[in-house]
Amino acid sequence: MRKLRSWQQLLYQLGLAALAFFVLAPVWGLAYLAFDGGVYGWPTEFRVWPEQFTFSVFRELWARPAQTLSFLGTLRNSLIVAGGAALLSVALGAGMAYAFARFRFPGRQVGLFGLLVGALLPPVALMTPLYVLLTALQIRTTLFGLMVVYTAFAMPFCIWNMRAAFQSVPKELEESAFLDGAGAFTAFWRVTLPLALPSIAIAGLIAFLIGYSEFALGWLFVDKGDNVTLAMAVSGMLSTSNFYASRLAALAIMMSLPVVIIFMILQRSLLSGLLIGVTEE
Amino acid sequence: MTHSRRWLRLLAIVAVTVVGLSFRLRAVDRLPIDFDEDDYLLAAQRYAQDLRDGNWADIVNWDYNYEHPPLTKLAYGAAVLPWPPSEPISQVSSSAPPARSLPQPHFTISRLLSATFGTLAVLALALLDPLAAFFLAIHTWQIKYTSQIMLEPLPALTSTLMVLCYAQSRRVGGSMFREGGPRPALRNAQIFWLILSAIALGLTAASKYTYCIAGIAIVVDWLWATLTPRPPLPTGKVPSGEGEPKARGRAIVRWLAPVLAWGLLAIVVFVIADPRLWNDPVGRLVQSVAYHADYAQSLHVKQAGYPTWQPLVWLSGPVPWHPGVFVLPLDLFVSLLAVAGLRRMWRSSSQRVLVIWLFMALGFLLWWNTKWPQYILTLTVPLTVAAAHGFAERVWEPFLGWWQRVQVTGLRWTMTRQPDTRRAFAWLLPGLIALSLFTIFPLVYQGAMALTDFNAISIKDGIQGGIWRETWKGLTGQVAPARVDLFSTQPSKEVHYVGPSLLTQLFTGLGADILFFNVMWTALSVILQTTLGVGAALMLNRRGVWLTGWWRTIFIVPWAIPEFVGAVIWLRMFVPRYGWFNQALPAEIRAPPLDNINYAVGVLLLSALWYGFPFILLAATAAFKLFPPEVDDAAAIDGAAGWARFRHVTWPLLWPLLAPAIIIRAIFAFNQFYLFFVMDPPFPLLTFATLSYYLFNPSYGGLFAVSAAINIFTVVVLVGLILWFNRVSKAGEGVAYA
Repeated sequence: MRKLRSWQQLLYQLGLAALAFFVLAPVWGLAYLAFDGGVYGWPTEFRVWPEQFTFSVFRELWARPAQTLSFLGTLRNSLIVAGGAALLSVALGAGMAYAFARFRFPGRQVGLFGLLVGALLPPVALMTPLYVLLTALQIRTTLFGLMVVYTAFAMPFCIWNMRAAFQSVPKELEESAFLDGAGAFTAFWRVTLPLALPSIAIAGLIAFLIGYSEFALGWLFVDKGDNVTLAMAVSGMLSTSNFYASRLAALAIMMSLPVVIIFMILQRSLLSGLLIGVTEE
Repeated sequence: MTHSRRWLRLLAIVAVTVVGLSFRLRAVDRLPIDFDEDDYLLAAQRYAQDLRDGNWADIVNWDYNYEHPPLTKLAYGAAVLPWPPSEPISQVSSSAPPARSLPQPHFTISRLLSATFGTLAVLALALLDPLAAFFLAIHTWQIKYTSQIMLEPLPALTSTLMVLCYAQSRRVGGSMFREGGPRPALRNAQIFWLILSAIALGLTAASKYTYCIAGIAIVVDWLWATLTPRPPLPTGKVPSGEGEPKARGRAIVRWLAPVLAWGLLAIVVFVIADPRLWNDPVGRLVQSVAYHADYAQSLHVKQAGYPTWQPLVWLSGPVPWHPGVFVLPLDLFVSLLAVAGLRRMWRSSSQRVLVIWLFMALGFLLWWNTKWPQYILTLTVPLTVAAAHGFAERVWEPFLGWWQRVQVTGLRWTMTRQPDTRRAFAWLLPGLIALSLFTIFPLVYQGAMALTDFNAISIKDGIQGGIWRETWKGLTGQVAPARVDLFSTQPSKEVHYVGPSLLTQLFTGLGADILFFNVMWTALSVILQTTLGVGAALMLNRRGVWLTGWWRTIFIVPWAIPEFVGAVIWLRMFVPRYGWFNQALPAEIRAPPLDNINYAVGVLLLSALWYGFPFILLAATAAFKLFPPEVDDAAAIDGAAGWARFRHVTWPLLWPLLAPAIIIRAIFAFNQFYLFFVMDPPFPLLTFATLSYYLFNPSYGGLFAVSAAINIFTVVVLVGLILWFNRVSKAGEGVAYA
């Protein structure tokens, strides 16, 4: 291994710092507005630091970010739909992913490819059909309805990802479980599933993010103030006529912060989850 | 070539020419009067009068429309000469709408001449390659501009002849350019063809300047082909060191002289064929050419608002303006086949000049500010030849191979019973039910919607089963497709079956602007994100670099931020008047507003880069960990051998692991929605997903059926892109990333 000379170290650090600037500067460009508090409309002058540093907007938003709900209320809605979507798509998809990973059956190749395409349809591609479906089931305006909608988005992707995870678990482990007298499901539940857990968590996390940040479908389906999610509240602030930059910025931060923290905590397992994802069959 | 093959070829040539002629005659008959046709007919009238009176002074000195050399206009004049003069055409400003009517029969006669030139070009190309000529015969832009009274038909023909003659000269004596030369008879034939091509170049220059690009392509190809490594001088003949430079000088002269002579001949022909140059040639030529440079900066051009890549948009679809005129709107497929056939065309040494022509013309059109659609006729000929190669390579030969296999083995549909089917079924069931409900059902529903006129007015009928009812009736032939304008909201409260016309239109180029942008957007975003992501991963994974954990934590922040918020963050940076970026700049230098297309593309790409690169960074980092341990410190690409190391060791290992991540990023990019929704850039900066959302949204019109058709189209395009990428990358399935 060649050692880095100090000037090389400096170059590397400078390069990384430049990249960090590219990543963080835009974030701060929005964030300082939130701490300023008094910026109605878009700001008209350049400022790096807020004129008066204040948390008042955050406090205000904590009490009432949307029409009828507190921040915790909207957050709860978001968590219900996004978390529910994540759980549903993982739970419903796991069996299918396992089948794709372990068994040979007709249509397997086509099905896998179809999953990839289905995984990333444009959001509106599902709107009308789901509208019809959910209206027929009489759950269109409910949080459960939204949960179902986001599941529809996320599920193909989850299946695709979990399949790779299951595949990376050596078949021999299951076979030795069979020898110990375990049934097919027990072997899956006790052996394969725990080993694939990091990747499954990632799949769930992605599904969560999809549901957490979606608003276009939300606004089309939901018609009660009580069912507004955080993403819907933020997007509502952007399109409102009396635009208030500080509020928008603050709510965007309050919305992103939980996810950013989760990602940072999970960074290590994110990497290992990705690692499992890349093992070839 | 056997006897029967020769007859077959002759038959093909005749057939293709007939197709070309009949399509052009149809266009002559049906196309409405276009911009500029009145101008050129006016010129034709005056030239006819001058020819009748023998008034050469007027031909030489009349400065009307001086920006274009007069040969084509003279040809139109000669065509209408036998008919009695008509009432003069009134001159209107160039921004006025096209003339309502033009004097007959002069108008039709001139158009017929145009069509004749157009057909001759088809015939000439058919001699080289009948299939290419067929593509040229049906190319809608080619048809349009070689059946209206435009300047294009003649230079399109002469430039084709020029290059074909040149290619012929390369073919008759492939070795003539080499030292030693061919037999004298061949050499004479070769010179004959070269003289013809020089004459054609002169005529081209006298018809329209831009077509001379083909001449430049010839020069490039010629100089390249004759730039052989110098034959080693016989050692005995070089007594002193002074002989060497002299010999080299002679070699250079011998290298350049034929090309110069050829060019000189072309210039002579040009001056003879352009009567305006008979008086003050240099001054008038400069005046004429300078006009175009000014015009490219004029308000007229700016108001057209075409993006830099507009020529490629013209090539991505047929002429959008004249429904019912063009029979085979296959322009998009010709372009795609051309892309596929480029490599093969390059390998044929006598056709290499066509590749050079294609790229030079394309480069010029992309660079030049004026982007009128007729300009693409400067490259349709090499395009169609490339398309013919692409057809042979990607369609015909695979088909032949398949056919031979079928003849040997017979057509068998084997369904080997797979051992796990029954066991798999139980595991598949829950997911299958959910998927059919949430993914397959919506897709089928979209397909059905796309066949109707379902919209916000007929919503009640539609969601209560009207869509199924109408689609069923339509597909079983119980109702004929209704004729409605899908783009305006119908007053009817009932859904109607309208048939697949919208889908066929989409597949043949409706929305070519957006399709092209969407594909370009996908390619550029993915390239940028991959470059930055891999670059960052390399930096982070170089052994010995400090603080990598911290840096990585910072870099994945954009991924954790919901895309919608990310879009708002970048809007805040670049919003036209209040952007942070703008405010930071001194007042004199303000960034242009977002409705400047090229700037907006840059801003959008930057935002997408910010949002997308962490994903690639993580994927690449994960891939590095999977590298075989023998590859010591794969990320060490600094130092002299660094680039070579990356190129030959790191990248080949990385690529297969990264390809799936790239596919996923590409699909995200293709369907990018929030960014475009929030930034709201000008047309045609739009993804199909965004367009589909706008069309769907009741507050923008609620054209559900159109939206559905676009979604179906998107799915097909995406499938095509993924299949293509899979072929290229050989990534295969079996790999997935978060």
